[in-house]
Amino acid sequence: MRALTQKLWAFLKRDFLEEASYKFSFVASVFGIFLSSATFFFISKLISPNSTSVLDPYGGDYFSFVIIGIAFSGLLTMFEKRLPGIIRQAQVTGTLEAILVSRTSIPVILFGSSLYYILFSVVSTVFHLTLAVTVFGMKIAKINWPGALITFFLTFLCFLSIGILSACFILVYKKGNPFSWIYGSVSGLLGGVFFPIKVLPAWIKWISYLLPVTYSLEGLRKSIITSSAFSEILPSIVALSIFALIFFPLSLYLFRVALKKAKKDGTLIHY
Amino acid sequence: MKAIEIKKLKKVYPLVKGYRELLFHPFREKGTTALRGIDLQVESGKCFCLMGPNGAGKTTLIKILSTLVLPDEGSVFIKGYDLEREMNKVKKHIGFALSEERSFYWRLTGLQNLDFFAALNNIPRSERRNKIQEVLNLVGLEESAEQRFNTYSTGMRQMMAMARALLTDPSILFVDEPTRSLDPVAAQNIRVFLRKEMVENHGKTVFWATHDLSEAKEFAHSIAIIVEGQIKAYGSVESLTEQGRVPLQQVYEKAVGKTIENEPKYWG
Repeated sequence: MRALTQKLWAFLKRDFLEEASYKFSFVASVFGIFLSSATFFFISKLISPNSTSVLDPYGGDYFSFVIIGIAFSGLLTMFEKRLPGIIRQAQVTGTLEAILVSRTSIPVILFGSSLYYILFSVVSTVFHLTLAVTVFGMKIAKINWPGALITFFLTFLCFLSIGILSACFILVYKKGNPFSWIYGSVSGLLGGVFFPIKVLPAWIKWISYLLPVTYSLEGLRKSIITSSAFSEILPSIVALSIFALIFFPLSLYLFRVALKKAKKDGTLIHY
Repeated sequence: MKAIEIKKLKKVYPLVKGYRELLFHPFREKGTTALRGIDLQVESGKCFCLMGPNGAGKTTLIKILSTLVLPDEGSVFIKGYDLEREMNKVKKHIGFALSEERSFYWRLTGLQNLDFFAALNNIPRSERRNKIQEVLNLVGLEESAEQRFNTYSTGMRQMMAMARALLTDPSILFVDEPTRSLDPVAAQNIRVFLRKEMVENHGKTVFWATHDLSEAKEFAHSIAIIVEGQIKAYGSVESLTEQGRVPLQQVYEKAVGKTIENEPKYWG
């Protein structure tokens, strides 16, 4: 356990030191959060509260609705782009071989490599929400903490699985990751990030129900904006649990298979 | 016990298919044979040089031995442990000084790099500083440990790769062309370090892939010459050169079936 903690800390320290060496990058990302909040704040001015019934289940305020969407979908973007990005960067630079020759298991390498970005993403999400509440006047009710935390944990597992599946693809095929397209671009359009899925036509709406992000945002909005009872959040929690139970073990298994294939083909550091 | 025992080791890399091949013969297997049934034994505490022309299979063999590439057939035992079945036990005995200088984090200092890899190799935090200091002293980089890795010369980067491989105090050290692209002084420092410091002073086994005949002749206890995935010559330097009566260059030329031109034909 102690060795595991020390390894995770080593990954965290490595990534912090690397990121901190790019001083302007940090300032730019903070400024980016402010800009996106401000943009959606002014867009929301165009939609007067309670002007549309589709926002009623979320308190009727578009700004609160969309801020939850973009703050938490940032976490998905981090996993589906960052994790395969880390693997690809390690392939290109050759650090992947140096890490794999060490006495560290695959799950620890995967989790450790994304730990800094996970924490950065969580901090960004909290910062996004704090900014929205303090500067732009986002309305939040009494937060249903158990509902929010369980939904967040399951969201985390689902998004991590998508990130690992993306990493598998990069390990074997190097580029052209389809998971990034399916879960990144499609989730943005159909996952209820910018608008409730109710507005989608029926012939396409069914795809929304196949995306974990739909249930994550539904559960989080109900926990944070409308302070819904646990029973109202439960359907989202059940759906996310099913996704997590299928995708998490599957992604770890497939990563082992992908790594074995890359070792067999001798393409571990090809790019 | 032998440090390394290799029996009938084979490796075939699949060939990347073109679009036409993918379309018409998606399941046809095609490959390039890298190793064709290698049999080899390396004595403990000795310096072993693996020689051969480009593409002969040296890097494939060294990567299999360091657990980075999986073999197709045959078996490998490192200090008596089966490479495929007991990989974690094998990893305790080996260190691989990756010659790829990009295998470090360039924006971190040498010390920060070593600290990271020490943690990944289960060295407890309480022992890490001393261990890192010890390997830095060994490779002579203690003065520049606080500098960023990107400020190091090529020779220093090679030495840092040695330091990283030595963090776990492995009994077998793999080095793949460590003197490539180094100036004569830096190259000689590495050679002396491997033979005198590692083998003679610390009793380690050094498995050294090289192109350099004089390097192998001067520093190896035994040599194997690999050509197109097969070992063509193998033995102690004395036996291969018949106690110095036959030049090593001649042994090499016979093994590879080519002559090394003293006056290159195509140079102006």
